[in-house]
Amino acid sequence: MSETQLRALFAQIAADEPAGSRIDTLRAHRRGRARLRWRRACVASGSVLAGAAVAALAVGVGPARPGPGPAAAGPAAPRQFSPLVPYASFGWLPARVSLVSGGIRPTESYMDAGPQGDPEWTLAVYARGQCHLTSSASGVNCPGAKLPISQRAPDVAGHRAFWYSPGLVWQYARGGWARLSIPAPNLSAVLHSKQGLAGQALKIARGVRYGVTTRLVFPARFSGLPSQWQVHNISYYERDGGLLRADQYMLTTGSSRFHPHVGDTGVWTDAPYIIVHPAPRKGTCSPHDPSSQNTSEIINGYQVVLKRMHIGGLPVQELCGAHADGLWFDIQVFGAHPSIDVTSLFRDHMRLLGTNPANWTSQPIG
Amino acid sequence: MSRGRDAEYTEYVAARLPSLRRLAGVLCGDWGRADDLVQATLTTLYVHWGRVRAATHPDAYARAVLVREFIRERRSVWVRQVSLSGQVGDCPAAAADHDAVLDLRAAVAGLPPRQRATLVLRYYCDLNVDQAAQILGCSPGTVKSQTARALEAVRRALGPAPDLSREARP
Repeated sequence: MSETQLRALFAQIAADEPAGSRIDTLRAHRRGRARLRWRRACVASGSVLAGAAVAALAVGVGPARPGPGPAAAGPAAPRQFSPLVPYASFGWLPARVSLVSGGIRPTESYMDAGPQGDPEWTLAVYARGQCHLTSSASGVNCPGAKLPISQRAPDVAGHRAFWYSPGLVWQYARGGWARLSIPAPNLSAVLHSKQGLAGQALKIARGVRYGVTTRLVFPARFSGLPSQWQVHNISYYERDGGLLRADQYMLTTGSSRFHPHVGDTGVWTDAPYIIVHPAPRKGTCSPHDPSSQNTSEIINGYQVVLKRMHIGGLPVQELCGAHADGLWFDIQVFGAHPSIDVTSLFRDHMRLLGTNPANWTSQPIG
Repeated sequence: MSRGRDAEYTEYVAARLPSLRRLAGVLCGDWGRADDLVQATLTTLYVHWGRVRAATHPDAYARAVLVREFIRERRSVWVRQVSLSGQVGDCPAAAADHDAVLDLRAAVAGLPPRQRATLVLRYYCDLNVDQAAQILGCSPGTVKSQTARALEAVRRALGPAPDLSREARP
């Protein structure tokens, strides 16, 4: 066997490439966006938490902005959302489309819906004062999204609404805006869609329920933590039966700090990033980064992998368990001197609740 | 991600998809798995698009994402593959020595994922040791040793050959 033979073999395999492909770049786009959204949610929350009250107050007492159509009257939108309640829900979705996943941060609650678990439609509801109609009424600016208005849309539940490309943005309450991202390449495709995407979008928007009280459920519970620890930036998935399972979230405390220049979107130090969900059949704790130092341990009877690495100059601890009573979990903490290290957090404070939803909790801390 | 960045991503992926798919096919030896691998890679590239566009060599970055994803994914199934004695995929072999090619193909398929990735980077992508090390996230010395071990394993699987000593170089 020679290197030449190897080269020939590889070239032959490449040459045998079949014409048909299952690769779906749009799906990669959507899944990447969903993943990015959660990461950005973690990024944005702290600064938003600090500034939300000020921003909301400033908007609330400021001069009325000019724009087409009357501003929403009636009850005001909430200034912040509860971290444990999605606040909004879909009231109507097209056939074969259902809620897939969602997330909550203090100023935004979002949810993705699509066929067969593949998110296509995204609804984002913003807290009071987070979005602003520009003075020339040419766009609506929301955190992380500048939406250039293309044209006026029919009112949504009596409130002004606008088309942007490709979506619908409307004022759902005084000081509060919502937007719906539509699965189409541009607004023209929406407005001229044979499937009636524009009509579907309006029907979805008009069906949104606000102020819902459905609580998320968590497959893990933390106890014995100081009272200032809180859950933030939850990402959840819908299970059969409408149960909203919180899979990813952060725990923050007073000393949690955001470092905007680490990684793509910045990271928090002293704020454990938690992921817990039912274990996939072939789930492992293999590290992405081969430079991490890994040790296998048994903690509380669970086989876990402790990883230590550096990202962007910050030390990172990560504790992962691939099969812990049917759950897969991962805890990641950035920073040299966290208030609590991952091992202590898992060993002394975290209880896994198994795969039976009846045992899950809506109170993740306490 | 802004629409501008979305457009950049879409344009980049459209241009590089064929080469990424071929690399995935050579790594996996199975086009179904290759498509899954590329699908996962494209998602990761979207998430890390900021790094891709800022990279000195975006193609090398994309290749690294794909190769590392391959290693990560394959680790868990490698034992099963080995226990099946490196069963061969369903791609037809067009070489004259059909059996020999199939044997070689099976021997390469039976390698641990990191060794297989090392061979593919060296002999399909034609990367030198340093370039392969960057993509694999290891030292050049590790690439050399992995290459040597992989070649040795393939030779063992194929049986003794009289001229091995002349060709054994990492």
